[in-house]
Amino acid sequence: MTSSPSAMDVDPPNYDHVTINDSDVHSIVLSYLVHNCYRETVESFAASTGMNQPADYLDGIEKRKKIFECALEGNALKAIDLTEQLAPDLLESNKDLHFDLLSLHFVELVCSRKCNEALEFAQTKLTPFGKMQKYVEKLEDFMALLAYEEPEKSPMFHLLSLEHRQQVVDSLNQAILAQAKLPSHTPMERLIQQTAVVRQLLNQDHAKDGHPPFALKDFLNG
Amino acid sequence: MARLLQSEEDEVIGSKGVIKKVEFVQIIAKALYSLGYKKSGAHLEEESGIPLHSSAVNMFMHQILDGNWGESVATLHSIGLKDESTVKSASFLILEQKFFELLDGGKVMDALKTLRTEIAHLCASSNQLRELSSNLVSFSHDLRAKSRPKLLQELQELLPPTIMVPERRLEQLVEQALTLQRDACVFHNSLDREISLYTDHQCGRDQIPSRTLQILEAHSDEVWFLNFSHNGKYLASSSNDQSAIIWEVGTNGEVSLKHKLSGHHKPVSSVSWSSDDGKLLTCGVEESVRCWDVSSGECLHVYEKSGPGLVSCGWSPDGKSIFSGVNDRSICMWDLDGKEVENWKGQRTLRISDLEITRDGKQIMSIFKETAILLFDREAKSERVIEEDQTITSFSLSRDNRYLLVNLVGPEIHLWNIDGDINLVAKYKGHKRTRFVIKSCFGGSEQAFVASGSEDSQVYIWHRGSEELIGKLSGHSGSVNCVSWNPVNPHMLASASDDGTIRIWGLNSHLQQHKKLQQVHSNGGSMAAAYNGRT
Repeated sequence: MTSSPSAMDVDPPNYDHVTINDSDVHSIVLSYLVHNCYRETVESFAASTGMNQPADYLDGIEKRKKIFECALEGNALKAIDLTEQLAPDLLESNKDLHFDLLSLHFVELVCSRKCNEALEFAQTKLTPFGKMQKYVEKLEDFMALLAYEEPEKSPMFHLLSLEHRQQVVDSLNQAILAQAKLPSHTPMERLIQQTAVVRQLLNQDHAKDGHPPFALKDFLNG
Repeated sequence: MARLLQSEEDEVIGSKGVIKKVEFVQIIAKALYSLGYKKSGAHLEEESGIPLHSSAVNMFMHQILDGNWGESVATLHSIGLKDESTVKSASFLILEQKFFELLDGGKVMDALKTLRTEIAHLCASSNQLRELSSNLVSFSHDLRAKSRPKLLQELQELLPPTIMVPERRLEQLVEQALTLQRDACVFHNSLDREISLYTDHQCGRDQIPSRTLQILEAHSDEVWFLNFSHNGKYLASSSNDQSAIIWEVGTNGEVSLKHKLSGHHKPVSSVSWSSDDGKLLTCGVEESVRCWDVSSGECLHVYEKSGPGLVSCGWSPDGKSIFSGVNDRSICMWDLDGKEVENWKGQRTLRISDLEITRDGKQIMSIFKETAILLFDREAKSERVIEEDQTITSFSLSRDNRYLLVNLVGPEIHLWNIDGDINLVAKYKGHKRTRFVIKSCFGGSEQAFVASGSEDSQVYIWHRGSEELIGKLSGHSGSVNCVSWNPVNPHMLASASDDGTIRIWGLNSHLQQHKKLQQVHSNGGSMAAAYNGRT
């Protein structure tokens, strides 16, 4: 193949062998929506496709959504409380996560320039983690933030960012779902990942034929 | 404090006019304070009108010791430092102390404030700041702040000497002078480390062996080689009479015969002591190498090859193997039972050739060409060469394995540095040589001397560093073939001669003692006989 109009349409003859079940597609979409707490969308999608979902499904979504909103907007302590309510012992068995959530609160205090409070909080809540070596370095990172009058300009500024908070929230989501014996990664995510890996391998084999390396974005854009 | 006039500030003292009076007095005052004589120090400052420190510096020192941090930093800026970075570093040290003292006192919030507002901008790197901030949450209860006097000392080292006279400067200057004197002393040969400040150190010749203390006459022919053991308690000699002798050095320095080692059927050209001095190797010229037990005198083993003859011998430092040069130009290595373990072929030795092995067992040195010595690293399998411009007759290795003394036909003796780059360091001349192999050695306190035999029957001694000939010892009636300096007693030297005797040389002062001893012993028959080396 020298040129292909649509990346996705490479090997169309092969695709013809694969039948796709509508209900499978619906499941994939629904699970994605549930995972990411799009409650209203879940309701309307389920109604449109005629899928039924149990009531506590929606309840679970609502609770998780509340936790993540708190964490993202900087109310980490409330997020922890709600998590404890929803999934008791979760944080006990996920020390890394517990530390990350507590440090979100610490960061919030630093950003509001409440340094003395931040220091106290660190001493009471974060220091106990310091008994394990792997937390010592993380702790040092956070303590260093205190030394700067403008923490946004310090080398550790990434700890203050939204991306960091989002990462913590994602980990929390996965942990909660895992504890509820639900998949911590959506089928959608896994399917896309698989496609990328397979395509990459195939392209590598054909690399000498002059095919460019695989790019997921280009593939999806057709 | 009295202010000095400009003219006073430039005043010099001393015969050479290079010592500034102000600096001289200040160093003395500093020394007085260091010794604890505060009153004397203060008195000197007052009487001379020369303050040890400017008033600003005095204030600074008090502020540090009292913990007035803010004020001390301010004073720092007014002391007159030209270098901004020094001011910054010193300020950092002071504020760091403030930070740690606050932490140790439990005032964590204050410490945090200090860190943020005062220290952060002084940090050399973000790592430094990070390290400090990690102290805000502590895992131990140890005190973190150093003592204030220690801080002051660190600041003193940081500040230029013109601002604050360095600690112990006077001691340093005196030590420099003493070291120079000692190095310049050509006859310095004492184990005694006492050097007095009252006079310049200058040893007289009386520290160099110069008198015959004993003549040992047990060999029946030319004595070709001798060597003291590592512990200085024994001397081994080898002769054209096909024997070797182990002598014992008594506690009062008298040498007596211990064992006569017979068995070779050729003249014995050299001997080698094991590192623990428990065994001795002897080498018969182009014949075999024999291993002897030193305490019993028993021959433990004979090493030989069927065919070629052995020409030199040496111990591996661990005492488990023996090296030998062979007259087929190779070098071979044996284990103690006589099994040949390794063999290095190629042109490595000449007939009758010296062999030296370094203390770490890695390098083997041998004369492989008339004018060159091979330094073979058997671990790295690499070779280095010392090239001479004349024929080489013998060489010996210094105790620290960094230097090689090479005897040339000239006659000249060359000192080579073999540690790192090979280079010629010194040359020694004066002795005589036309036909025979003459050997030389290092010796004396810290191997500061070079001694050699000579065909004019004398022992020659040079000061190693200055190449100056400092002694010619006469007494022998034949060519002196070899000398050995006792490694443990820098006042004892032994020489081997074609006249069949070995002479023990010592200090002039010892001669008087020896004579007294001889008188005492001559009343006790057999002791005197042994003393004179007759069997």
